[in-house]
This record gives sequence, structure tokens and C-alpha cells, in this order.
Amino acid sequence: MLEEPYRWVEAIRNRRDYLEDQLRGASPVVATRYRDGVLLLTTTPGPRKVFEVYNEIAFAAIGHPADIEKLRKAVIDIAHLEGFNLSASDVNLQRLVSFGIGPLVKGAFDEIFRSPFLARVLLAELDPPSGDDVFYTIDADGSFVRAGHVAAVGSEESVAAIAETLRDHAPEASLEDALESALHAWACGRMAGEREEGEEAPGAEQVVDFLKNALTDLNVEAAVLDRSVPTKSKFRLLGEDDLEPVLSAHGKA
Amino acid sequence: MESCDFLDLLREGGHMPESAGVAPAEHSFEGTEGTTILAVRYRDGVLVAGDRRATMGNLVVYDRADKVLSIDDDSVMAISGSPAIAYEIARMLEMSVQYYRRSQLQKLSLDGKLRTLSRLLRQNLPMAMQGVGAVIPIYAAFDERDAMGKIFFYDLLGATFESVDFCTTGSGSSIIRGALYYLNRWGGAPLAEMDEAAALELVMKMLETAAEYDTATGGYRENAHIFPTVMRVDASGIHSIGEDELEAIFQGRIA
Repeated sequence: MLEEPYRWVEAIRNRRDYLEDQLRGASPVVATRYRDGVLLLTTTPGPRKVFEVYNEIAFAAIGHPADIEKLRKAVIDIAHLEGFNLSASDVNLQRLVSFGIGPLVKGAFDEIFRSPFLARVLLAELDPPSGDDVFYTIDADGSFVRAGHVAAVGSEESVAAIAETLRDHAPEASLEDALESALHAWACGRMAGEREEGEEAPGAEQVVDFLKNALTDLNVEAAVLDRSVPTKSKFRLLGEDDLEPVLSAHGKA
Repeated sequence: MESCDFLDLLREGGHMPESAGVAPAEHSFEGTEGTTILAVRYRDGVLVAGDRRATMGNLVVYDRADKVLSIDDDSVMAISGSPAIAYEIARMLEMSVQYYRRSQLQKLSLDGKLRTLSRLLRQNLPMAMQGVGAVIPIYAAFDERDAMGKIFFYDLLGATFESVDFCTTGSGSSIIRGALYYLNRWGGAPLAEMDEAAALELVMKMLETAAEYDTATGGYRENAHIFPTVMRVDASGIHSIGEDELEAIFQGRIA
């Protein structure tokens, strides 16, 4: 098959279609900046999707849990080896992505006879040395995109809808406001993923109804990298106290 | 299941510092050494304190060495012996604990931490046997299960022992060990019943006592603004006692 370039291109295209198809049903992850750092939010029926990688780096992914786990372990390994051999301040996202997880995912994608990583990854760094590149999203083919204020992983339609919803998001928002807008963006993204082609974008009321229904069976999982905490590790999973005001506004007991 | 051990990760990648294979030195080697550290249990937890002096034979190498190092949110390690090896061991231990928590999504237990430190010391044994880089740590942690501060110490081979009331190591330790025993037994009330202020005063007086009779232990020097390192380990985690607080105690109750 690989002797013929045309077949190879076809195989790659099939792979892309397969990945997009498999990931379409995933609940997207939304990430934004807020006053004290970075917020990551998603919903899950059970297994965790948002994790700590290093002192100021967080990881979230959609896809197959076993693939997510492999990639998470790979990033944690690289970060800790760097942190040990050099110093904590040498562990940064730009290098982790361009020299670590990016090539790893691309390598698996290129091996036509093996399964690629069925996952899309979002990484966030608190106050990166490079300035504005707070977020990286890594697609299942290993390509990655940088973003400064907001980012998301999900199906193509979900990500586009989330970006549209959060276009005017203020990085100086309080945690509660950021949670509210991330949750709203998540609902828009989720609805866009389920929408048939040609259907119109939902109105504000439909989003509220959708969110209310969705929250009855799903748990909201959110974490922050909070620069105001005194410990070296800035990662914190948000508990009920943090989420309650936002969730109760949407009718979740 | 893949290994969750940071030391394995270092070994696989060839990042583990070489320790074995040190040839017997033709000339006796005098390395840098740290001196007096002590840990005392009081009512709410443990205080761990160390002087700041590092010596090489009869020379003072450094008067601002930190020998009490935080490992994670609820434990500290204090070191006497070779600082080069001790800092490396502390770093490996700190990274092991972090790595475990992040990769396994749960905290490493106190027993797990003690065991890791023991393995690190064991790994250093070939060098220690050559008379280079021996390290004797004290490890203090707040045990959430028993809701009390605990003190552990090690020998060169990595054996772990738990101290009930207090523990001292380093060249000045023999000078204050007897004093601590006396106070604990006949000093009115057991050390474990002291409040924090009393415990703080006690550890600082003990370090001054060690500095008086042991030249390798550095004392309080007002003109150079040098204070011992003191860390508190209690239910709220670890906390480093600030220089201002130490200075007030020295000037008010000790000097």
C-alpha cells in the first residue's frame, strides 16, 4: 500500500476521518484565563479529564481514557526529568510540546499499521516565560496550536463554537465569572457538536435549558492554576465550595 | 502496570548519578560537612532546627548553609554530613514524592516516603563506605493517620528509627543530647507538653549550646545577621520560622 503515494495520502485521510468520527461525541474541555491564573473546565460522567503535570502546568484531554493516560504519563515523565536534571524554572510548555508530546503523537499518527493516539490534548501554563502562549492544543496528528486567552479541545464544530462564544472573554474576570462563562461556552460547544448540518445556532434560552438538562447526569470537573496560592504547586482541583454558586444558578442541587 | 517510581525513571533514562565505583583515595579526602541539627516534639507537632555552618576539617566553608529542607507540604528533612550528597538525596526524595502524587493521583504515604529515603541512603552506601559523602538525615512529618508529628532518623545503611521525644545528629549532637534528656526527664514537664514558644526557645538555646562547645557548629551572630534554620511541622503543614521572629527571641530571651 505504501509504495503508492496516492494510497498513502488516502490512508492518512481515512485516519483523519476516523479520528474525527471517534472524537465527535466527546465532551469538550474549555480553558480560559482569569484574574488569578488559568481555569480548565469540562464535564464527565466519571473518569477525570483534568490533571496536574508540573508546578505550573496542567493537562486536559478528550478521547480514549487509555490513550489519555499514556500521554499524561509521557508529559509528566518529561517534565519531572527536566525539573530534576535542570530546575523547575526550565520546565516550560513550549519545549514540552514542541520537543515532547508533539513528536510523540505525530509518530503514532504516521504509523499507518498501528492505532494512533485517540486523543486531543490541551496544556496550560501559568505565566509562561514566552509571554502570551498560555495554552497549547495538540491534535491527534501531532500538530499543535498556541493560544493566549482561551482554548478548547473537542470536535471541530465544538471548538469553533466555544471560540466564538468566548471571543470577548476578559482575562481579568473573577473565578466565579470565568466559571460561568466557561460553563456557558462548554454548553454552546456541546450543542454545536450534536447539531445537524444546516441547523441554526441555538438561542440563549435553548443554551440554558440544555445546560440544565446536561448537568443532571454529568459532573462538572474544573481545575485552576492559581498564582495566589503560596505553595510551589499552583494546581488545584475545584471543590464543591467553588462550583456551588455557579452550578446552583443552573439548577444543579 | 508501569512503574510509578521516579528513581526507576531516572535509571531508565541514564540520569541516575553515579555512586558506586569510588576508588579508595590515596590521600585522605576531607569533604564539606554540615554540623548540628535537632528535632523536638512539642504539643502541636515537631520543630526541626539546624545551625548554618558548613566546615571542611578545621575550616569554615560557609556560614549560611540551609540544612533543614522541605520535602513536600507536610514533611521536612534535616541533614548532617556531606551537603553535596544530602541536597541531591533531598531533591530526589522531593521529586519522587511529587512524581508519585501527580502520576498516581494520590499522595505517597508516610511509610512510602520513609522507604524511599531509605533506598536513597542505601544507594549512597558505596561512597559512604569510602569515607566520602556520608549523610545522616532526620526526617520529620505530620502523620495524618495518628494526628501527631513524628521524628525519624537513619543510619548510614538506611535503617529507619523513630524517635519518641527528640533527636539530634551531627558533630554537636553529643553536647546537647544529654541536656535534652535531662530536661525531658527532670525538667518539670516532658518536652512533648511544651507549647510552640517554649519549644522554639528550647531549640535555639540548644543550638547555642552546641555552638559553644563544638567549633563546627555556627552560633547566632547578630552583626552578621545569621540565624539558624527552624521549621515547624504541624497539622497545618510545614512552616519556616521567619528571621524576625528568631531575632526577637534571641534578643529577648537568649542573648
